[in-house]
Amino acid sequence: MNKLHFKVGLFTAASLLLAGVFLVYLLHARGFFEDTFHLQLAAASADGVAPGVPVVFSGIEIGRVTTLGMNEEGGIIIHTEFLGRNAKWLKENSTFTLDKPIVGGARIRVDSPDLYAPALPDNSTMLLLTSDISKEIPLLVERVKAILDNVEHLTRKDGEINATLANVQTVTGRMTGEYGMLESLLGSPEKARAVTDSLDKTRALITNLDGLALKMDGMAAKTDQWLFAQDGVAEQTRESLAQVRLMLNDAQSSLKKADALMTNAVEISADVKEGTQDIAKLRAEIDDAVRKASALVNEINKKWPFARDPEVKLP
Amino acid sequence: MAAVADLPDDVARVALDLPLRANLSALDNIALIPLYQRHYGAVESTQQAQAMLDQLGHADIALLRDPDMTPAQRFVTKLARAIILKRPRLVIDRPGAMLYDVPYPAFIRQLAAQAEMTGTWEIFDFSWNQALYQE
Amino acid sequence: MNFLATSIESLGAKVVGWFTVGYGMFTFLAKAGLLLLDRTTWNRATFDVVVKQVYFTAVQILHVFLGYTLVISWLIITIILSTARDFGLTEFASEMTIRVLVLELLPFLTALFIALRSGSAINTEVALMQVNNELDALAHCKVPPMQFEFLPRLIGGVVSVVTLAGLAGLLALLMGYLTIYGMSTAGFGPYTQTIAKIFDFKIMVGLIVKCALFGLAVTLIPVTAGLETPKKLFMVPVSVLRGMMRVFFAIVAIEVVSLALKYI
Repeated sequence: MNKLHFKVGLFTAASLLLAGVFLVYLLHARGFFEDTFHLQLAAASADGVAPGVPVVFSGIEIGRVTTLGMNEEGGIIIHTEFLGRNAKWLKENSTFTLDKPIVGGARIRVDSPDLYAPALPDNSTMLLLTSDISKEIPLLVERVKAILDNVEHLTRKDGEINATLANVQTVTGRMTGEYGMLESLLGSPEKARAVTDSLDKTRALITNLDGLALKMDGMAAKTDQWLFAQDGVAEQTRESLAQVRLMLNDAQSSLKKADALMTNAVEISADVKEGTQDIAKLRAEIDDAVRKASALVNEINKKWPFARDPEVKLP
Repeated sequence: MAAVADLPDDVARVALDLPLRANLSALDNIALIPLYQRHYGAVESTQQAQAMLDQLGHADIALLRDPDMTPAQRFVTKLARAIILKRPRLVIDRPGAMLYDVPYPAFIRQLAAQAEMTGTWEIFDFSWNQALYQE
Repeated sequence: MNFLATSIESLGAKVVGWFTVGYGMFTFLAKAGLLLLDRTTWNRATFDVVVKQVYFTAVQILHVFLGYTLVISWLIITIILSTARDFGLTEFASEMTIRVLVLELLPFLTALFIALRSGSAINTEVALMQVNNELDALAHCKVPPMQFEFLPRLIGGVVSVVTLAGLAGLLALLMGYLTIYGMSTAGFGPYTQTIAKIFDFKIMVGLIVKCALFGLAVTLIPVTAGLETPKKLFMVPVSVLRGMMRVFFAIVAIEVVSLALKYI
């Protein structure tokens, strides 16, 4: 027996065997032996999504984006592919969120709250949500600023609320005057509308703030999975977000008070004597709300580390 | 002397400047020719080479490599390699340079008697060695 | 002026020299390739020489090589893992390990290993064959040395580098798993996923081609450098020196080109 040949033979056989095993393992890993599961995700924008972007479930990659396309309405259809063995994590009530963390590449996160829910059929289409935090916070600040502008606008010297209040004063003045009832009756259609309009605006403002507060709650929850450093930038951001929420709640309750007062103002026409006092109170309350809201914007700009300059318009 | 090196292709030369392949045994050195020139199989080629060594009476050097051989053994291997080329002329170029440990005219004559080769052997040597060839 | 002219001339001479070397190498490679296509090449004798070459290039050093791979892989994996942990990027650690080790570092080190051990030996041997007239003797016998001296070395080099780099890569994958997940099967799923993500068809083919080119470089260049040796014994070290420099440049060039193709 040739020892040299035996050794080379052994080496070759072992290498080929290992190569073969690795090849089979690789084919298995790449899903050659199983079906692929396809899923379409509908999104408003393909920003940040590209072929190869991973789809992760509980932090583990289970599939990836294959192609991007558009439908007739200009919406984006993202085609994703999963291995058959990973398709079980996709349920009918799963949510798909596009994550664009500050560190690392974009990825699509799958959340399946109920793993006993019916499985998603092959080739179905789901909605892709965006949780782009770095984008949303400046937007939020903008929105708060807009609200503040509104409040400011409403409460400025010659603003609507002032005018309304003046109207109310006139109306009540007239009503208490000599020709009170008649003038009041004559002027009432337009003037009553003005009052209700400004009241509606205040209500809309309050709903806005409500929505904002809800959003903040959602964002605080979302930041949870975005955070990976104990005291990194993200942690501070979450704290500021929590604070923002508190402040917004504050502003909201102030404005609610204003709303109640405005409602009172409508009744003023009926109850003339208490009118003047209430209106004075209303002014004070609205001023308070404006002050709190601008403090809030200052705070957001200060805490949010990516705001470019701390310029805030104060009323 | 250059004249010997410039001999035509149909001459098989045994010369100092045509050494054996150093990392091959004597047998393999001879077997190269049937193996790569005539495309015999490895076993067949080795058998032919061994037969050639047997014929020259040096079967025992088959597994020796060039550095392990005595000058005479080296010469025999080179000669076997030249014979197995089967060319019509065989020229031994200055045998004294290769066979410095034996009385070489007699040694070559003895090999020639064993080889039973067709064709002629020619020996080129310095004229002052001519006396050595006289018997 | 004179200085300028001489420097331009020396530059020209260098460039011509490089082209001559490159041309020599490619004609040699073309000859070897043509011989590969020849049916008479594929006989038992050639096979035996190839087996011998594979033995000397790969099998003989297998235990040393695997030990060295083990140490290098363990070190690199540990460094990458701890760095990734410090920066909070553990999720990328396994992918990084595989990319750095299996795709780049281990093939490169394998090529260097073979170049230092077998490449230099081949260069010396061919240079000595040339200086000792052994090649002339073979030419006189009308036995072309390509088939039983050079071609088997080229094949042996390619086979050895591809196989050794593959074995080292598999060992590194195993080491990576053990270092990241320990002796449990829990990480098998994610690790498989990472491997599947990295090793697509293009990468696999690229890796094998790269290793084959490494194998060719560490044998072809020494052979041609040896054949260039002037017939003077003292030129053998010079020939080996030149050959090994070229091998080193070729290995680096192959690595750089492969990286450029992969990431640019």
